[in-house]
Parts: sequence; C-alpha cells; structure tokens
Amino acid sequence: MAMQQDRVRLAVHDMSNWITRVATDVGGTFTDLVRFDIDPESGQSRVASAKTATTPPDFERGVLEVLRKGGVRLSEIDFLAHGTTVVINALTERRGAKVGLITTEGFRDTLEIARGNRPDLFNLHYRKPKPFVPRYLRRELPGRMNYRGAEVRPLDLSPLEAVVADFRAEGVQAVAICFLHSYANPAHERAAEAEVRRLWPEVYAVSSHRIAREWREYERTSTTVLSAFVQPTAERYLRRLSDGLAGRGFAGSPYVMQSNGGIDSLEAAARTPITMIESGPSSGVWGAARLGALIGDRNIIALDIGGTTAKCSLIDRGNIRIVTDYWIGRDGRSAGYPVMVPVVDMVEIGNGGGSIAWADDFGKLHVGPRSAGAVPGPAAYGMGGRDATTTDANLWLGRINRDYFCGGELTADMDAVETALREVGGRLGLGPDQAAAGIVRIANNNMVNALKLVSLNRGFDPREFTLVAFGGGGGMHAVALAAELGISKVVIPPDAAVFSAWGMMMSDLRRDYIATRLVDLVPENAEAIENTLVETEAAALTQFGSEGVAPERLSLRRFGKFRYQNQEHTTEVALGENAVTEDRIREIRSAFETEYEREYTYRLDAPVEMVGTHLTATAQVGRVEIRRQELGPESARGAQKSFRKVDFAPEGTFEAAIYDGSRLRPGMRFSGPAIVEDAASTLVVHRGNDAEVDGFGNIVIHIQVRGGGP
Amino acid sequence: MTAQNHDPITLEIIQNSVQAAADEMFAAMRKTAMSSIIYEVLDMGTGIMDAKGEIASSGAGIPAFIGVLDKSVKFIVARFDQPGAIEPGDVFATNDPYYGGVTHLSDIVVMMPVFHHGEMIAWTATIAHHSDVGGMAPGSLTGAATSIFQEGLRLPAIKLIARGGTNEPVMQIIKVNSRMPDVLEGDLWASIASVRVGARRIEALAKKYGTDTFTAAVESFMDFGERASLSALAKLPKGTFELAEEQDNGQVYHVRITIAEDRFTVDLRNNPDQLDGPLNTSRDGVMVAAQMIFKSLTDPYAPATGGSFRPVELLTRRGSVFDADEPAALGFYYEIELRVYDLMWRCLANHMPERLAAGHFASICGTFIGGIHPDTGRQYTVIEPQLGGWGASMRGDGNTAMFSGFHGETYNCPAEITEARNGLIVDRMTLITEPGGEGRHTGGRGIVLDYRVRSDTGFLTASYTRSKFPPWGVDGGRDGSPNYIEFIPKEGERQRFAHVSGLATGKDDVIRVCTGSGGGCGDPRERDPDLVRADVRNGLLSPQRARNVYGVEIRSPRPSTTACLPR
Repeated sequence: MAMQQDRVRLAVHDMSNWITRVATDVGGTFTDLVRFDIDPESGQSRVASAKTATTPPDFERGVLEVLRKGGVRLSEIDFLAHGTTVVINALTERRGAKVGLITTEGFRDTLEIARGNRPDLFNLHYRKPKPFVPRYLRRELPGRMNYRGAEVRPLDLSPLEAVVADFRAEGVQAVAICFLHSYANPAHERAAEAEVRRLWPEVYAVSSHRIAREWREYERTSTTVLSAFVQPTAERYLRRLSDGLAGRGFAGSPYVMQSNGGIDSLEAAARTPITMIESGPSSGVWGAARLGALIGDRNIIALDIGGTTAKCSLIDRGNIRIVTDYWIGRDGRSAGYPVMVPVVDMVEIGNGGGSIAWADDFGKLHVGPRSAGAVPGPAAYGMGGRDATTTDANLWLGRINRDYFCGGELTADMDAVETALREVGGRLGLGPDQAAAGIVRIANNNMVNALKLVSLNRGFDPREFTLVAFGGGGGMHAVALAAELGISKVVIPPDAAVFSAWGMMMSDLRRDYIATRLVDLVPENAEAIENTLVETEAAALTQFGSEGVAPERLSLRRFGKFRYQNQEHTTEVALGENAVTEDRIREIRSAFETEYEREYTYRLDAPVEMVGTHLTATAQVGRVEIRRQELGPESARGAQKSFRKVDFAPEGTFEAAIYDGSRLRPGMRFSGPAIVEDAASTLVVHRGNDAEVDGFGNIVIHIQVRGGGP
Repeated sequence: MTAQNHDPITLEIIQNSVQAAADEMFAAMRKTAMSSIIYEVLDMGTGIMDAKGEIASSGAGIPAFIGVLDKSVKFIVARFDQPGAIEPGDVFATNDPYYGGVTHLSDIVVMMPVFHHGEMIAWTATIAHHSDVGGMAPGSLTGAATSIFQEGLRLPAIKLIARGGTNEPVMQIIKVNSRMPDVLEGDLWASIASVRVGARRIEALAKKYGTDTFTAAVESFMDFGERASLSALAKLPKGTFELAEEQDNGQVYHVRITIAEDRFTVDLRNNPDQLDGPLNTSRDGVMVAAQMIFKSLTDPYAPATGGSFRPVELLTRRGSVFDADEPAALGFYYEIELRVYDLMWRCLANHMPERLAAGHFASICGTFIGGIHPDTGRQYTVIEPQLGGWGASMRGDGNTAMFSGFHGETYNCPAEITEARNGLIVDRMTLITEPGGEGRHTGGRGIVLDYRVRSDTGFLTASYTRSKFPPWGVDGGRDGSPNYIEFIPKEGERQRFAHVSGLATGKDDVIRVCTGSGGGCGDPRERDPDLVRADVRNGLLSPQRARNVYGVEIRSPRPSTTACLPR
C-alpha cells in the first residue's frame, strides 16, 4: 500500500526542477520509505510514504521494492539516506563472522570475565552471557602503554605470524584488536593491525581505537569484537545495496544512518558498522529535534511507540544527548553486551502495540515486555494470537476503529479480542471492559515511568517540554501521558508512523569524537585542554576532507566531560566557540556546577576534573527548508467522518468525533473527545483538550492540565 | 482501610511508581558518589519503607543490603518514639550494628521520613560502604581490631539534618574522623540527595492518590510478597535438615533448618562464642543471610518486600559469632554472614539438588590496598570484593568470574581505571586454571589478578574464607579450588595468606589475588567428551587431567600460543 498523504495541500505543477530527497528505513517487520519533493523556487513541497515487508536475509531487496512502490526514480533523486536493523539483528541472532581477538598479554580473558555483575539478584541459576570469541581464539601480544599513553613496554609482533596461521586454520573470518590504554595511545594497535593486514590481506580486521577512544577495557574489547562479528555481513549488505541502487540509475552515494542521529558515508559505515546499531530509533529522535526547530520549540521530549517497544529521549534547548554506555540484550535478567559507540540517549521499555497483557499467579496485571510481534500478532489479527495486547485493548475501548483496522487492510477479529480480554480479566476478577481499561492504564503507567526517567530523574521538569509523539502507537497514548506529566503541548507529525525515516531524510553528516583525557580543571591545564580539542578538530577536518567535505562546510562543537575529583560519572558541558584559556577555567567550572546541581540537587567545594572531550562535527548535505503553509479555515467539519462511542477510561465513555487524518488541513481546529484516524495510526484526543493543525501539517494538542503534574 | 476497597489497577500503578522511585534513588546515588566502591562496585542499596519500617520496595544493587534498611528504620522509629521527635525534612543516620546499623561501621545508613498532611507515611533510605570512617587502620577495616571502638566512628542512630537544617557540628565530627574527609563528605551528600529524591517522589504519589490509597497500595504489595513466598514455600520439601561444617579457623558451625507449610525456621543456637577479632556478626546480619537464601529458594523474581520475608524465623544465641554482644568487633561481618549463607545453602542443596547448585567461591575476598599515587602524590585506597567461580548444577556448568552470592549488580573495576586512579599496575587478570570443580558439569573458574605496586610505603589488608576448605561439590562432583592472596615481593620470599593486616608493600612488589573455582556436579567421567576436549583446547584443562579425571584421551592437543598458568 502506497500511502499518499497530502495533509499539506498543494497544486502539482511542472516538477522537473524539484528536489527529491528519499529515506528508507529497514525495520524488523517493515521497510519504510519517506520521500520529500520540494520546489526551490516556490517552496511548495510534498511528502509521501510507502511501506513494504522486510526481506531477510537479503534486506536490500525490500529496500529496492519500497523504492519502486514509492514511485522513486533513482536517476532523479538528489539525496538518499538509509537506516537499517541489519547490524542489531546479526547480533541478537548471533549470526556473524567467526572472530579472533588479539589483546594485551595478561588480558585474554577480559572478554569472558566481563564485569562480574548479576542483575538477576536472587536467581542462583543466572546464566552469564557467553563471550562472542571462545578462549582458544583469544590471543595475547606482549607490549604495554600506560594510562597517559606512554609506552611502558614495546610491542612484540613476533608471535603474530603463528597466531594468524592458527586463525586461518581455525576458519577465522574477522580479527578484532584491542590493547590496554589504546584510547590514550593507539600506536600499538595501529602496528598490530598493519601487521595482520600484511600477513593476511584479505581478512576483515578492526582495532578498538577506530571505534572508541574511551577507557574501560572490557567495554572497548566487547565493542571491537561485536564490530568484527558484524563486519562481513554489513559490508556485503551495504555493497549489494549500493550496487542495486547504481544498477537502477542512482548516480550519487547513499548515506547511512548512524546511532548518533547523524548520517555517514557508506564507505565509513562499512569500516565500523557497529555504529549503525541504533540507527532507526536515533533518527526518530533527530527528527523530533528538527521538527522542534521548525516549530520553534527547543525543549522536546520525543516518544516513539512501535509494535514491541516504546522509546523516549529528552532534547534540551535543541541538543540531543549522546552517550556511549549502550548494551545489547541487557535487562533485569541478563548483563548483556556493552557497545561503546555514540548513541542518542534513550530509554526503551518493552511496551508497544503488540505487548502482551498477562496476570501473574497473584492476580496482578502486567503489560509486556513480551510482544505478540507481527506473527501471530494481536488477537485482533485473527492469526491465532490468544493473548490480549495493548492494541486489542485499544480496539475494545473503541479508540482504534474496528472497521478501519490497519487502514482497512485487516478485519479486526473482535471475537478473538473478547476471548483474550475475558481470559486475562477472568484471572483478575474483571470483565472485558475493565480489563481493557486496565491494560491501557498499566501500559500508560509504564510509559510515564520511562518518561520520568529521561526528565524528572535528570532534573528536568516535563512541564517545560513539548511532547513529540510518533511511531504507530504514539498518538494513541501521547495525550494521556502528557496530562499525567503536566505537559501542556503535544505534537503529532504528519506521517507519524514513518517519522523515523523523515528524521533520516532531514539528517546531517555527523561524527562524534569522544576521547578520554584526564586532567584537573585548573588554569595551568587550559593549554593542554585546548590542545586536545585542537588535535581532535584537526583529525576531524582531515577525515572529512579526505571524503571531499570542505572545512567551511563543517560545523564543530566542543564539549567537555567533567566531575568532582574522585567521582566516576561525568557531566557534559558545552565549551563554546572560544579557545579554552586560563581565564575561562572559572567560567567552565561554573557551567559544570550549574549542570551538576540541576541534575543532582547540590554542589560541592571540591576540585573538578576533566575526564575527556567530546567534539561533534556536522555538515549539512543540501538540506532543504520546509516552509510553513498558509492556514486555511478553522472548521474541521470537512475532515470529520462520523461519531462513535469511545471509552476514555478512567475518564468515562463519550461520543467522540472521528476525523480522517488525510483530510485535515493547516488551520483546522477541533476539540476532544475526538479520534483522528489514518491508515497507519490513531490519535486519541481526550475531553477538554483542543487540537489544531499547524502550517507544517502537525496536529498540535493543547492539554488542559488537570492539576496533576509530577 | 484494606486493598479490597481500592481499584486494583490504581494500586498497581502506585506500586510500580514506588519501585521506579527506589530505582531512581539508586541511579542518583551511583552517579554522584566519590568512592569507586560505591559507583563502580555498587556496594550500596536504596529502598522505600512504610511508616513502620517494613520494606515497600528496593532498588537494584546488592541483595545482601535489601534486608538491612528496614531494620535500621525500625530502630529509628523505636528510638524516636516521642511525639514530634521525627519531623518533615529530618534525615537520620546510623552505622553501628548495636544501634540498628546491621552490618559494620563502614556502612552508613541514611534515612528520611516522608510526610503527607502532617502524617508520616513512609521512609526512604540508602546504605553505602564508605572508604574510611576512622578507626585504627586506613580503610577502617582490619583483622587486628578486637573491639568495635577500633573500627571507626560510631554513629548511634542520630539526626543528621533537622527540618532541612544540617547539623554542622556532627558533619564536622564525621569528617574529621576520616582519613579521606572529602570523599566521605561527597559520598554522604550523595546519600542525602538520594533519600531526598525518593522522598519527593513518594510525596507526589501521596498527594496525587491520597494517603489512604497510597498506604493500601503499599500494604497490598507486601501481602502480595507474602502470598508469593507462602505459595512457593508450599512446593519445597518439608522436614528438618541439619549440617555441621568445619571452618578454615577450626571452628565448627551448626545449622538446623525446618521447612514447614508456612514457616522457614533457621536455628543457629548451637554455635561457637563470639571471637576477639572482627569475624563476628550481629543477629540482624544473619537474618539478612537467611532472608536471602529463602528468597532465592522461593520466588527469586517477585520484588522483595517486607511481606516476602514474613515466613522466615531465626533462632540465635546471644554472645555467639552469629549474635555478637557489644563491644565485639564486626569489621569482617560479611565473611561470617556469607559463611552462614553458604552453610544454609549447603545444608539444603543435598535435599533439593534441582534447586541449588554446588558451592561457589563464597567469599567476598575483600582486598584493601593503599599507598601514595606516584603521579599525583595523593593517597589512594582500593577496597574491592573479588570475582570467583560459581558451582555447577544439574542444569549445567557454573558461571565463571562472578561476584559472590551476596553481590548482584556489582561491577569489577577496569584495569585501565585502576591504573589511572591508583598507584598500581594490573599485570594480568585471567581465569585460574588450578585443578578443582571437575564434574559432569564443571564449576566456573575463579581468577588470577596481579597488582604491581608502583611506590613504597603502601599496605595490604585482606580477609578471605574458603581458603582451607574449598567450595563443595555435589553428587560426585569434585570440590572447587581455594581463595587466597599471595604477596610476591621484589626481593624475598613469596608468602600466601587467607588473612593479612597492614602488610607493608613497596615498589615492584606484586599482590596476587587468586579466587576459587566453584564445586563440580556429578561424576566427571559422565561429562560429554566434546566438552572435555573444548576445555583442553581452551587451555582450561591439561590433557593429563582430561585422561586421569574425565577418562578422555586427547589425541593432538592444540597448543595455545600463550601461557595461561600463573608463574
């Protein structure tokens, strides 16, 4: 189904001068496409989207198919960005290369020892995650750097020939290299990698300093090993994609979405594919930040509700927070595997449309984290799913239109929904109505707690933020969540279900250079700090320069990571554009203390240390400006389809006006209780809240705050 | 007011929010602490108690700390029982096991009452290990202590902050008694920030839902915990089980556990008198151990609340090592608490082998290393528990290199950070390959960790148990290997210790930590030969032992390019 959504109305004239930008996003179930056409002369623009099934293991087939469905003529497009779950899938399914690890003498077991933690506190049968490289493929070389990057013992490469011979004999396909303190000085890693390539030119090889320049050897080793593990798969995939696009007339070079909210060249992505690990979710957050800039809201909480999970992230004064403490497979039952790459700071919980509601042995209701997935899916799919999901509850309450389920593609099996609700409700002594209301309330509460983690927990008052909600389920829950948190404004973008792809399309080239460099924050060290930053900037300019990005296109931003002496966790502070000089140390300390106090409620009379630097380098790739459309008449009657009874529990059941999302136009206004439906999503507007469509086609809901708040 | 009168979904939402508040307290504490033992090792806990001090919810961290906070709060509630003695904005502290502190003086418990409409409705509390609280030795813990007076400053359940106003003189007393005053102050403020964050969240909940509904939610949460425990208890084999076990120091410990329909009784009365040294524990400490083993046996997944532990009954004898009288030293209480935990585990493992694995290294292996950092000239102190091997079970091989059963979400310190922060070089951290733990399923491996000292005038203190009697195997599986520490001076004789206090260390001396592999499960000759071959290939087992112990002939052992046995 190719969805053409013309919420922003325009007359289509001659389109030969138009600029076309396209983004494709390969998800677990669907491959999405968003295309954006704009006439640079008139500012007229058009957004369209398409969707097709994801096609593992040859994911590029789905991409080419969705391009065809979306009517994209590859010879005519100006920009193509691409996001993919191919990396995270390879890791979670453990389908990747046989990896050999080369590390510092005395540390071959770091990967297996890990950190020794056991999140499942009382479970005496806990299973520690199995290392991705068995012990016999973990080899050591003599040689030592210290934490300041000085060589303590020279590197001895002589054992390497035998190691490489062993690796070849064992069928190793990729080599990971990680030495102690290489974040401070990568010379030994460089030498070892060069020697491996000399001895074995055709092998995939990656060293830790190419990916991470931060301390903690287990995390860095794990990251390097996981990158090596996915490298052959990712390279093959990216090559096939690139060939497929070229074969269909695409003359440019596609960009690949990264986990830091930026895009990078295909060649760079293929070198360290692990940086693609969270590409889809991070592009949604980036999209929310861009949308915020467009509508003039700099404080945003982004909420992405999909089929399996809900993710949220806080954008403070336009800034996305980037972190490097990311894990795969980590939850209350498993320590998971760390991946030390720049990732947009997000909280993710197992709460989406397909999340299963269940009652435990003691009559308590839970929702998620298990999901019914796409198969069998919610009970309403009628494909054998027996468990009630959040989607089923929303159908039962009348929030989702049972006669227009999945845009009319599916007939909602309401008998199956009732059976499933009676089953779970029966265990709690509740009828289907109460069970459905209970499921939605529990799901909402789970999400409220996640939203508090990114806001209140870090000292941000959610009442000062706008909630931008997207993903298939964003609009279903956003208004209730905002009311609970005291948020007064909710924005639902057009094409909310494919908003991540929209974010990708709006993205910039971006790299994050994060380096550990421990110094006391005192005037005498200003020069050392400045030198570190200048060095990193030079490295960024060289790297981008070698890829044809001129220095004047590059925008650099400097941050430092600070803490009180003896602490471990750091607070990141923007350092501004001016050079770090002795005079500015006091100002930097004060900026740190302001941030620290906001997050932790107190400050100390103690020395401050800088633990490292963070440089962001971004370059726009012919980004287009989206123009605000004229607002039309306020009456939304033209978009209204009908009325129906909807249960807005716990507020009660009301006759709600039903609007067709594809017929809403800029300027239209309506009030809750109301439902807005389009083929891919549903927006629930509770009683007492007013909604309007802005000049960009966003639906903006103004929440009557019910005295609640955090 | 009972739970029946309230909407069950609302109660559940309150319960989830209380849990979220406890987790939030944990995160706040972790991020602001100044000692690596708090922020990295996470030797800390957070929790929310009801007005009487029963656990409503606890944050992540160390399971052995979950049952501590309620006991401390109950002590405060009993001590400050006059009207108006506990007011909004107050913050209390104790670290003394003879005054509700449960563990040892190094752990300071910080507690804050939560009020709504003038009525006390809950408590938020944290416990954390502080790097130095004074006493006769750096780091406060020493095997040389013979009374609690030598183990640090005693805070006998005091009000640290009154109606929001800090008691500055008390703060100064606390600071001046520490060898690391700034770190202690920073960590104490991290605790205070954490209890305040929790209190704000609980106040907001009470404001939103009303005191009655809030209280009903907490009560129903506890009742739920009790129901979960009782229903699991019903499935355990019933009877009385006994065990006597000789300890490394020659003492014999006795335990008798009676499992009935609704009661889990641990009788520890028949045990030796308290010792002159610091290897004693308070009765509360032993109760925590009993609660932990009970929770693991019954319902490891339901959140731990006061209700979860209601069926546990403990019998001790005052004046014994498990119920020491003032002023006995308690510094190394955790080794004794862990011994009694392991004793109960072993006592029951023989009778419920499908539920309990073979013995694990079962020692905190607390290691204290200090000195001057040659690059900064500043004093450093490493206070670390160690990783070791866990026992094999009927389900499979034991885990390799984990913290003991007392720890949970605890992290070891990366070598890169150890080297930056302390005057030490980490020469190696590898799996130990000593014999031990062989079986159909093998025990997990302990570790070998070498610290090379960078400057003179340092010290080493350590206290390990299971050093003479290694972790126990089950069902024909072999015993694991022992825990010990070696001192390898640059010049002179190598020495091996289980306990060492204040040993002087100098430049280029090596401190080698060796922790045990867990016990095996089942006859080694029944092990899958492919797994035996994999162990040989991975350098964890010699071909000779493969033949002698497992009866597996290794044709062409593939030699590893690097040696993995310690020198």
